[in-house]
Amino acid sequence: MVMPVKESHIVLGCFVSRLLVSFVFPSLQHQLDQSVEFSTPMTSFKSIQEGIYMFTKGLPTYNGGVVHHSPILIWMLSILPSQLFITVLYAAIDAYIAFQILQISKHLKYCNLPNYIFGILYVLNPLVLLSCVSKSSIIFTNVLITTALLHVLQGNIVFASMAIAAAGYLSLYPILLLVPLLGMIASWKRKILSIITTIITLQILLFISYEINGSSWDFIDSTYGKILTFSKVFPNIGLWWYFFVEMFDEFIPFFKSVFNLIVLVFIVPFTIRFNQQPLFAFILCLGWIILTKPYPTLGDAGFFLSLLPFFNSIFGYLRYPLLSTLLILHAVILSPIFYHLWIDLGSGNSNFFYAITLVYALGIASIIADLTWAMLRNEYDEGKPNYNVKVTQI
Amino acid sequence: MGLLERVQRVIVSRGLIPKIMAQLPKISIIFVAISILMIAILPMDGQYRNTYISENALMPSQAYSYFRETEWNIVRGYRNELVHMENSTSRERNQIMESWLNEFGVKTQIYENRDNEVLYGVFHAPRGDGTEAIVLAVPWFNVDGEFNTNGAAVGVALARYFSRWPVWSKNIIVVFSENPDSALRSWVEAYYTSLDLTGGSIEAAIVLDSPGENDYFDYLEVYYDGLNGELPNLDLVNIGIYIAEHEGMRVSLHGTPFDQIKENNYWTRLKILVASIQSSAFSGLTKTHGNEAFSGWRIQSITLKTKGNSGPLDITCFGRVPEAMFRSINNLLEKFHQSFFFYLLLAPRQFVSISSYLPSAVILSVAFVIAFMDSYINNPSFALPFFSNYTLIPAIVWTVTLVACFILAQLFLILPIPSLLLLINIVISISSIIIQNKKLFKPAVSNRLRSFAFLHLSLILTSLLMVNFPLSFMIGLMAFPMTKVRSITANTAPQIKLENIILLMISNPFIALIIYNNVSSNSGLQGLQGLRVINRLISAWKDMRCWTWFVLCLGWLPSWIMVAISVIENEREPTSHDVKKNE
Repeated sequence: MVMPVKESHIVLGCFVSRLLVSFVFPSLQHQLDQSVEFSTPMTSFKSIQEGIYMFTKGLPTYNGGVVHHSPILIWMLSILPSQLFITVLYAAIDAYIAFQILQISKHLKYCNLPNYIFGILYVLNPLVLLSCVSKSSIIFTNVLITTALLHVLQGNIVFASMAIAAAGYLSLYPILLLVPLLGMIASWKRKILSIITTIITLQILLFISYEINGSSWDFIDSTYGKILTFSKVFPNIGLWWYFFVEMFDEFIPFFKSVFNLIVLVFIVPFTIRFNQQPLFAFILCLGWIILTKPYPTLGDAGFFLSLLPFFNSIFGYLRYPLLSTLLILHAVILSPIFYHLWIDLGSGNSNFFYAITLVYALGIASIIADLTWAMLRNEYDEGKPNYNVKVTQI
Repeated sequence: MGLLERVQRVIVSRGLIPKIMAQLPKISIIFVAISILMIAILPMDGQYRNTYISENALMPSQAYSYFRETEWNIVRGYRNELVHMENSTSRERNQIMESWLNEFGVKTQIYENRDNEVLYGVFHAPRGDGTEAIVLAVPWFNVDGEFNTNGAAVGVALARYFSRWPVWSKNIIVVFSENPDSALRSWVEAYYTSLDLTGGSIEAAIVLDSPGENDYFDYLEVYYDGLNGELPNLDLVNIGIYIAEHEGMRVSLHGTPFDQIKENNYWTRLKILVASIQSSAFSGLTKTHGNEAFSGWRIQSITLKTKGNSGPLDITCFGRVPEAMFRSINNLLEKFHQSFFFYLLLAPRQFVSISSYLPSAVILSVAFVIAFMDSYINNPSFALPFFSNYTLIPAIVWTVTLVACFILAQLFLILPIPSLLLLINIVISISSIIIQNKKLFKPAVSNRLRSFAFLHLSLILTSLLMVNFPLSFMIGLMAFPMTKVRSITANTAPQIKLENIILLMISNPFIALIIYNNVSSNSGLQGLQGLRVINRLISAWKDMRCWTWFVLCLGWLPSWIMVAISVIENEREPTSHDVKKNE
């Protein structure tokens, strides 16, 4: 594949910067993996390493209740001979995401920015950088999501469906993105093809996992079961943990299903309402999942935020971009501080950290709401921006 | 919501938003004024609260204190020996002390740090599981370099006295360190990392400071504020003050002189409030009394210091305060958690909690956000697109400045030359005179550079809010003048240039600190003449892990440098024609 010079620079820059940070600050990976912002029980590298160890020693991987990663991921990483290769792999995947984002940006209809900006914004996004350095397994999901997005835009539906199935296989909720993905496909025939491909891919992946896992289905409960039922009540930047810490036992199953329903419930409406802007619907759904999923990390947020510049043309309609920016900035900066006050110094308590996760959720939610407004407003203007029309009283 | 909508409608219909936007600079000044005002009203009646013991288990002074006449001769006996030790080496002193401690069954060990030795002994609790400990720390020399004769005598006599008692459920550790800062700090760090003889996690620490060999003293001073904005749980301070007053002592905070302790009016409360903000903001720069050494390990600690030598209180009285405090802490089943961790004391028995004082620092931080909005919105370059070189260049400058400041901070840790640091900062602040007719940046870049700077500082202040409120507040106040600098073009009056330079000078972290130190009579930084405050800042990081140096270098300095760069002469302002062309 031949790339224009600038793009190859960006992709290379992405690769080198990740490697450089990993090598210059060797202890950073461990520190980030300890932090609740970049690491959850579902994505932590420590648990991958545990899984790799158990796997290579032939022990039952999912017996200890520590490993929550998919068998295929663990199997693939266990093939790599050393840590160095894993570091290089993570950097390469991040660079590949940057490359795919550059490619996706070429398919944008209304775009007044040069393409390389999208790549640069991804490469310079500190959340993405740190998430990559922390070796959070979320990067594998992210790369599959961009793969799906790129291929559906290129018309390669089979490959896109396979990618989304794999993303769902790795961390469950991205399977919901199949819905907006279908919205991006024009004909019904191809939609059905896509659904069938996804199902078959999932079945194959699960079957391979079953084989890898020593003919045992126990990985299903350790991965998807633990995510769906939020069995590991660990503090994270999401909305779930605080809620379930002190709830009476008899209410827990009900509220867990309600919380899962919330993740699900907006996917179809978004897709239907924005069927004219399917890419927008896709990214909106992604944002919604990131907001409501049980184990989010800042790596998720960084990925979502890096995709937003695609809608640069409607940024003029945003009503409170400054507020959203400040909310996200403050949440990102204050959350490790409040966690430190709570856990290390003992002078704060869990409410401090919870408060800041609410600020973070508010930030993501205000971005989603504001973007929705901007897109609706853009529809109202029929694509020709007219910022002076007042469509609401306030 | 209905009301809010109505208000919003009125605002929109009257066209208030553009009017407000135009007044942003004034609004930011008003916010600073409100912030100061909010601190100033705290000492008024009705704004503060009386302290109370929150944890019921503590029960201060409920048990009778026995450290009385029977212990007189023991304290005196030890003191008679200690008087001769002032000039002996620390090894000799520690050896004698060690033999005394061993006599009554305290296990001892000597910890050697870089410069000196720290002697400590563990008395294992007869009734405990040995997982928790209380520390009694006695620096051989106090912060003023005086030999802590009475302190050491009371310390060892108390240790002996405690060891005969079967009531203890927490291990008791006595520590004799050479000084109250670096030596004690290094011991605490070693205790949690490398020492063999330990007695579990330290719940509380009491530092005794009583120089001289007098039998009597006038009153007690209590020091409580730790490093990096940390404070001991208010319960510990409360029981200290409660017990001392119960024993008939007057308690003074932040160096209130004896004759003023009795007074309790708005001005005395304000004075103590300001002093406590100052001493917490400049922790590590001010005198280190010993309790600071325990910061950062979840240890609640205070220093008790006797003052005067003519008063009615005898030295066993001083011993009864730690005795009763130890009894109280011994009662605890959990860690200190009941009472406040964030508070400001206005008088020994009056305090304000975080909810009362935090808003003032929030407002101060918002003042910088407003300055950020002002420099971003209120100029012709606002119309230029966000994703452009006008944003990219400031972002790059910001990154470079941050890295440069980090390198600078590290370099000066190795080579602490305050005059060089000062020179660099003065040169940067007058750079707008030095670099003339160079047209460094476009006006749009210079404006956005300033917005980046203010946003950076605002974020730093916000992140410091909870961790170190006093530091955040002081930096906010001292750095605020720099939001008033104005862009310079070729035809700007020299008067404005001069104004800019003055504003930059007084808002520079180091110049401001030096000015503050030398002008303020009550800055709490006594004894640091001239530039020595910078040396102290650096040594506070090296010896005590007090990160004020890095906050100044990575928080305040980068944003100040960016403001200073932004006022170097620009090209002309963009006309509306340019704006259109760029779009």
